Amino acid sequence: MDHVNVLIVEDTPSESSALTAVLKANSYNIVGVATSFKTALEMFYANKIDIVVIDIFLNGNPDGISFAETINASPGASKPFVFLTSSTDRQIFERAKLTQPFSYLMKPFNELEILYALEMAVEKFYTQTDVFLGDEEDTIISKEYLFIKKGKSLKKALIADIIYIEVEEKYCNIITEKEKFVILISLTKMLKLLDGSVFLRTHRNYIVNSEKIMEIVPADNLIVLAGNHKVTLSENYKDILKKLPTLK
Amino acid sequence: MDIFVFMYSIFRKTIINSFYLVSILFGGFLYSQEQEKKSLFDIEVQNKVNQYKAYSNFKKAGMFYIENNWDSTLVYSMHHLNEAKQHVDLANYAHYFRGYSFKVKKLYQEAKKEFHLIAPEFQFDFIVKKRLGEIVIEENEFKQAIAYLEPLTKLSSENYRYLKKSEVFQNLGVCYLHLKEFDKAEQYLIENVDFNKKTKDTLGLVAAYGAIANLYYELYKDDLAIPYFEKAYQLSKHIKKTDSKRIATLNMAVVEENRKDFEKALTYRKEYEKWNDSLNDQNKIYEVAKIEKEFAVKEKQKEVSLLQAENKAKVIERNGLFYSAVVLLLLLGVTMYFYKEKIKTNRIIVAQKENLDELNATKDKLFSIVSHDLRSSVNALKTSNATLLDNLESRNLVALDGLLQNNSAIVNGAYNLLDNLLHWALLQTKQSYFEITSLRLFFIVEQVAYNYKPLMLEKNVQFENTVSKKDVVLADQESLKIVLRNLLDNAIKFSKANGSIKIYTLNTNETYCDLVVEDSGLGMSETARLELLNDTVLLSKKEHENIIGTGLGLQLCKSMIKKNKGKFSIESELGKGTKMIVSLPKTT
Repeated sequence: MDHVNVLIVEDTPSESSALTAVLKANSYNIVGVATSFKTALEMFYANKIDIVVIDIFLNGNPDGISFAETINASPGASKPFVFLTSSTDRQIFERAKLTQPFSYLMKPFNELEILYALEMAVEKFYTQTDVFLGDEEDTIISKEYLFIKKGKSLKKALIADIIYIEVEEKYCNIITEKEKFVILISLTKMLKLLDGSVFLRTHRNYIVNSEKIMEIVPADNLIVLAGNHKVTLSENYKDILKKLPTLK
Repeated sequence: MDIFVFMYSIFRKTIINSFYLVSILFGGFLYSQEQEKKSLFDIEVQNKVNQYKAYSNFKKAGMFYIENNWDSTLVYSMHHLNEAKQHVDLANYAHYFRGYSFKVKKLYQEAKKEFHLIAPEFQFDFIVKKRLGEIVIEENEFKQAIAYLEPLTKLSSENYRYLKKSEVFQNLGVCYLHLKEFDKAEQYLIENVDFNKKTKDTLGLVAAYGAIANLYYELYKDDLAIPYFEKAYQLSKHIKKTDSKRIATLNMAVVEENRKDFEKALTYRKEYEKWNDSLNDQNKIYEVAKIEKEFAVKEKQKEVSLLQAENKAKVIERNGLFYSAVVLLLLLGVTMYFYKEKIKTNRIIVAQKENLDELNATKDKLFSIVSHDLRSSVNALKTSNATLLDNLESRNLVALDGLLQNNSAIVNGAYNLLDNLLHWALLQTKQSYFEITSLRLFFIVEQVAYNYKPLMLEKNVQFENTVSKKDVVLADQESLKIVLRNLLDNAIKFSKANGSIKIYTLNTNETYCDLVVEDSGLGMSETARLELLNDTVLLSKKEHENIIGTGLGLQLCKSMIKKNKGKFSIESELGKGTKMIVSLPKTT
């Protein structure tokens, strides 16, 4: 699992350093701290960012909102973000609210509040609410990553790295080339959110990344995957063979 | 009824080569007698009218005919003819009415036209013929008149009841006289005299004598003529008709003049003049009466028009009064309405002013207390800092730690006060962002409590958050946090060392979730509790002198909870602890 990349847009050094410290302590990776609208945009496009923390007021202007509007306007590039503000001024809020999905955090804030706000922003952005707050689930699935709550912080895992997923009741074992970890998510949700053309169900308890298939042994009902992982192919799911591009 | 005037004049050359005019008047003499008894024809008309009541126009025409109202007769007979031509008998009558009316009005051409329209089968065709004869005599068409009148001499006595036989004969005689056919004239006139003698019609007799006398006089048969003239003159003395007297007297005068008996002639002349004058007088009287009548009518007309004008003026005046009254009433109504409105607004303004005054007083009080508290805080910080500096000089590091902890506590207290003050102000001006969303209570409590962990640790207060992660309420996140912050702050403030604070939820109600902040602290009296819950009193008295408090925090809590459509209550026991209960609507 990897650290989540955060971009901080904040013009007050004391506040940005405090924020950086808190996030680092919770194993977030701070990609950079931008102090203006321009540098923020540069940093945003130059790095792989997962979440942006934006102070609404940059040098006295509500440039933070403009920044959020700008990244929201570029399709595919937009990312979850959280507004920071010390003002509850209604007019500012009304404008900020237009940048959906809208999450904000009032200054001053404590560690719990910022972590909570980041999790909320991710939930809202991927429209999978009540994942991190409840007890039933701990993972949000985007196109590219799994965002997994580990303790107080968030981790991510590249979906393309997954070799297969083994379901055990309400847990899912994620097996990648490098590691193996357990997440809390239902199988149905998993199947719904993963790309159906890539991840195939081979058994009641297995979901396989078709890219990682090395060999299929129908006689033994066996699929051999990268890293020499072996997965059962049950009779009920043999249909998937037709979907796979096979050499003849 | 039969007003038939025929002027007959003859010119006779006398021996003395001078012209004398002898005028003889025929007709008119029947008038008085006819007036007395209705003519038979009129009765006949009356019968017709009664018989055909349905023809209203005919009825009216007939009635007007009987009443001698010629203009109206013309109008209604015309209406009748336009409406009901097909009834030949009635049409004949109608044409007769019209012809006769025109004749009376001396419109002879029109009259003749109408008479000719009458069918020959008409029961009273002979009367029509007589009328036509009279008309042509008026036009001096004597031959034609004879053609009309001659057949009438052979009428049955039954038909003669409807017209004067003497008139027919007289007229025929006169016609022949004009045509110089003296034989025939003599025959008719003598017959006429006889007839009049028989009927004892004095007036007719005078005319008849006059006519026959003139005939003989014309024939120079003076011996025969003069006795007739004299007879006529004698008879005329007994009648009242001035015209007849006048003509008879004039005739006598002319006769005597021709006989050269000037003395007698002069007497007759004078008598003639007398009758002439009386006639003239009568005429003058008529004229004067007529003028007087016209004048009177004019006067009346003037009076009437004056009254009309007066009436008009009165009506205008009355209308004017009415309208102005209406306008005034309207104005009054409008004024009353606005006056009432003004009173209403005034009352509202007064109430608002009182309210504002009260609020302002509260604000002033709040202001003084807040500044007093802040002043004490800053003062404490100042003295503490002075001690801090002293200790720093003497390198007493152990004391430094304690002092800094103290300072931080003071600053925290002051910060919380300022924060509440800010939120209070924002709430009053409604400038703050407020959005009710679904919130998980557990995390909100965790986040708020996080800030107080060091404080509780220091005071050695046990803290427990047993709110379920499943408790979801509808509230505005920031205001809920402010409420919790204040409640927790109070709980810590009033907790004794080694006490405990618990936050948990009660799900006894279906629509509301009760969040309880419970401490094992000082508690409060019932009066204090009620005072805290009271809406109108902003500031509570300080029960615990050494603890900073304005009551602003709780007041803010109450307002925020109200804005979140929640409820607030306190349960407390002096010395044992307090439960602050916030009820918020559950997310459905």
